[in-house]
Amino acid sequence: MKTEGSEVILSINNVSKSFPGVKALDEVSIDVQRGTVHGIVGENGAGKSTLMKILSGVYQKDSGTVVFDGKQIEHTTPYQSMQSGLAIIYQELNLVNTMSVGENIFLGRFREMKGMKGTHAKARELLDSIACKVSTTKLVSELSVSEKQMVEIAKALSFKSKLIIMDEPSSSLTSEEMCQLVKIINQLKEQGISIIYISHKLDEIFEFCDIVSVMRDGHVIDTKEKSAFTRQELITKMVGRTIENEYPPRPLCVGDTLMEVHSINTHKLHDLSFTLNKGEILGLMGLVGAGRTEIVRALFGADKVRGHRVLIEGKPTVIRNPKDAKDAGFGFIPEDRKLQGLILPFSVESNISMASIRKFSRLGFLRKSLEKDIGARQVKALAVKTPSTKTAVRNLSGGNQQKCIVGRWMETSPRIFIMDEPTKGIDVGAKYEIYNLMKHIVEHGGAIILISSELPEVLNMSNRVLTIFEGRITGEFDPQKASVNEIMGAALGIVEGCV
Amino acid sequence: MNGKAIGSSLYAIVTKQKAFIAILVMLIGMLFSHTNFYSAYNLLDMLNSTSILLILAFGVTMTVVAGGCDLSIGGILVVSGIIAIKLLDVMPMGLAILIAVLFGAVVGFVNGFLVVHQRTEPFIITLGMGLLLTGVAQQLTDAHPVPAKNPAFMMIGNGDILGVPNLVLIMAVCFGLCFWLMRYTQFGRNLYAIGGDYEVALYSGINVVRTKWIAFVLCGTSAALAGVLLSSKLNTGSSIYGEMTALVVNCGVVVGGTSFAGGIGGIPQSALGLLVFGMLDNVMNMLCITSYYQVMLKGIVIVAIIWLDCFTQKRKREFV
Repeated sequence: MKTEGSEVILSINNVSKSFPGVKALDEVSIDVQRGTVHGIVGENGAGKSTLMKILSGVYQKDSGTVVFDGKQIEHTTPYQSMQSGLAIIYQELNLVNTMSVGENIFLGRFREMKGMKGTHAKARELLDSIACKVSTTKLVSELSVSEKQMVEIAKALSFKSKLIIMDEPSSSLTSEEMCQLVKIINQLKEQGISIIYISHKLDEIFEFCDIVSVMRDGHVIDTKEKSAFTRQELITKMVGRTIENEYPPRPLCVGDTLMEVHSINTHKLHDLSFTLNKGEILGLMGLVGAGRTEIVRALFGADKVRGHRVLIEGKPTVIRNPKDAKDAGFGFIPEDRKLQGLILPFSVESNISMASIRKFSRLGFLRKSLEKDIGARQVKALAVKTPSTKTAVRNLSGGNQQKCIVGRWMETSPRIFIMDEPTKGIDVGAKYEIYNLMKHIVEHGGAIILISSELPEVLNMSNRVLTIFEGRITGEFDPQKASVNEIMGAALGIVEGCV
Repeated sequence: MNGKAIGSSLYAIVTKQKAFIAILVMLIGMLFSHTNFYSAYNLLDMLNSTSILLILAFGVTMTVVAGGCDLSIGGILVVSGIIAIKLLDVMPMGLAILIAVLFGAVVGFVNGFLVVHQRTEPFIITLGMGLLLTGVAQQLTDAHPVPAKNPAFMMIGNGDILGVPNLVLIMAVCFGLCFWLMRYTQFGRNLYAIGGDYEVALYSGINVVRTKWIAFVLCGTSAALAGVLLSSKLNTGSSIYGEMTALVVNCGVVVGGTSFAGGIGGIPQSALGLLVFGMLDNVMNMLCITSYYQVMLKGIVIVAIIWLDCFTQKRKREFV
C-alpha cells in the first residue's frame, strides 16, 4: 500500500479544449496518485466537467497528453475508457430507466455475463460488496437518486476500475446517504482504487480528500495536500476575484406583506407555510430534491396540490394552473432553461412575447408589428446580446437566453417573480447582469423567490433565507446576520427546529 | 424462486396489460353466448387467421422496442407475396420463397439505412416506403390478383400437421425464435437499451447503429415471410391486401403494451395485443355483428385500452 501510494495512476499534461467562443480548458495539468482521493474544486464553469468528459472520451482534447495506468490515451470512446479501468459517475446519471438494475450494471455485456442469470448473480455480488440492498431485478426508474448512484458505483466496479471519477455525487444526497457514500469511498481507497472527487462543497473536500486541486476559468490554480490548504485559502483560490465584484449591493426595499402561503401539502412537501413581502428577495435553500422546486411549481400551479391557501395582498387567490398564476401576477423562470423555459428554434421575439400574446392579438389575430415592438423593447431594456430579434434563441449564450425569459415575464409586469436557478450554467459577467435585473425588479415593487444551489448567491442577494429539508421549512435566517454554518446546518437538517 | 418470479410476472401482466383484460373479458363473455366459440376447431381457426398478423407483429416489435417503428410492412407483405407467386413459374418453390423473403430483408436494410444510419424519422420514412411498395405491387400485377399454379405452394398456407394448421406452427416457431432473440441474447437486450436511452447505450459501448439496423432488417424479413404465407393461404398474390395491415399491426403492438417511445414491451405483449384483434374479429363474427359495427367496435376497443393505460399512468404521476 505505502509503496503504491506514491505511484501516479493518471497524469494529465497541458490539456486544452476550446468550444466556439470559449476556452474551456487552458493547459491543464494534474497528477493523480494511486489509492488516493483527489478532490477537484471549482465554481460552475471552471472546466471540471469538461476535463472529466475528455478523460471519459465524450469530448476529444485539442492538445496535451493524458497518461492513464502507464498508457497514453488518445481518441477514446466512453466504452474504451471504462474497459481500460477509468469509470465516471456523472452528475446526470447514466442509466437506462426502463431496464433492471442488474442489466444496467452490465449494459451491453449480456453475452459476457452468460445471460440474465449470470447478470443478476454478478450484479448481486457487486452490490453486496458496497453494502447496497437494492434488488437487481428492480427497474432503475423506481430507484431513488442515491440508489441510482450506488448502481453506478457497482457498474464502475464491474469494469475492475482503477480510477473512479465522481462528478458532484453529493448534490442530490441526504446526509445519511452521504455517510454511506463516504464509507464506500474509503473502502474503495483501501482496495487501491483512486478516486477523483469533484465538488464545490468544501466540507466534503476537507472531510475525506487527500489531495486537492483548485480549478478556475479553465486553469488549475493550485494542487496541494489537503492539510496544506486553509479553508479561506481554498475559497479565495476558487473564486479568484474579490467577492465584492461578484454581486451588486443587496437591494434593501422590503415593504409590507405581499403574499401569504398556507400549508402546501404534496407527497414531497409537508405543511409548508411562508410569507413574501413587497420588494423582497426570498431565498430558498436546500439540497437538490429537498422540495425547493416542488414548492414553486406548486405555487405556480404547474403541479397539482390540494388544500393550500394563497393570499395575495390579503385576497385569497386560487391558482389551478400556470395561466391562473400568470393572471395573478406571477412570473416564473423554471429550473431547466432549455427544456422548460425556451422554445429553442423560435426567434428571440417569439420567446419574449410568449406570455403576453393577448397584448398583441385582437379577436384572435396576431398583430405582428406589436410582437416585434415587445421583442425589441425587452431586448433593449435587458441588453440582450443578439444579432436581431429574429434570431433563433438557440444561438444565444446561456446568459442571454436567460434574459429572454426574464424579458418575457417583465412584459406581463409580474408582482411575484419566481426564479429557479436563474444563473445556472452562465458565466460570471452574465450572472452579474441577472443580479442587477433582480435588483431592478424588487426596487420597482416586485418580489422575488430565489432558488439556487449556489450558497453565496443566496446569501448575497436575499433579504431573507428559508431553509428546506425533506419537504419542510427548517429555518428562517437573515443572511446578513446568520453564519454560513447555521444556514447550511438547517438546510442539511442537522440543527434548528428539525427533530 | 423461479415459480415465484413467474407468479409475479403473471400478476404484472394481469394488472398492467389492458389487452390481457380485454381478452379475459371476451373469453368470459363468450361463456354465456350460445355459439361454438369454445370448440377446438374455432379456437384453432382463430389462431390460424391471426397467425400472419402475429408474424408481422414480432418483427415490428423489435423496431418499436428499439425506439423506431415500421409502417412499410404492408407494402413488403404484398410485394413479397407477388414475387413468390410470379417466380414459382420459373424456378423451384424453395428458391422462389427464399428470394421473396430476401426481398423483405433488402427493404428492411434500406429502411434501416435511412432511419438509423441517416437518422431520419422512422414513421414518415417507412410510411413512404410502404406507399412505394404498394405502387410496385400494383405495377407488377396491373392491380389484378395473380393466381398461383403450384398446388404444393398452396399447401404451405392451408395444410396442417396432426390437425394443427401449418400457419399456426410457423407462427409458433417465429414466436419462439423472436422471444429468445429479444430475451436471451445480447442483441435483444441491446435493443431494449437503445430504445430506453440511446445516449446511454452509445456510451456503454453498444454498437447502436448496427443493432437497430438489424432490427429493421429482421422486421422486413418477417414481413416478407408473412407475405409469402398470405399469398400461399389465399393462393393468389394481390396488391390490395396490405392496405390497413401496417397500421393494424403497429397499433396492436402498442395495445399489447410495447411503448412507442421504446425500451418497454416484448414479443409476448405484442402477441397479446394482436390476439385482441384476432379474437375480437372472431367473437364479432360469432355474434353475427354487422361489419360496420365491427369496425366501430374495433376503434372503441383500441381507444379504450390505450386511454385506460395512459389514465393509470397519469394518476400515478399526479399522485399528491
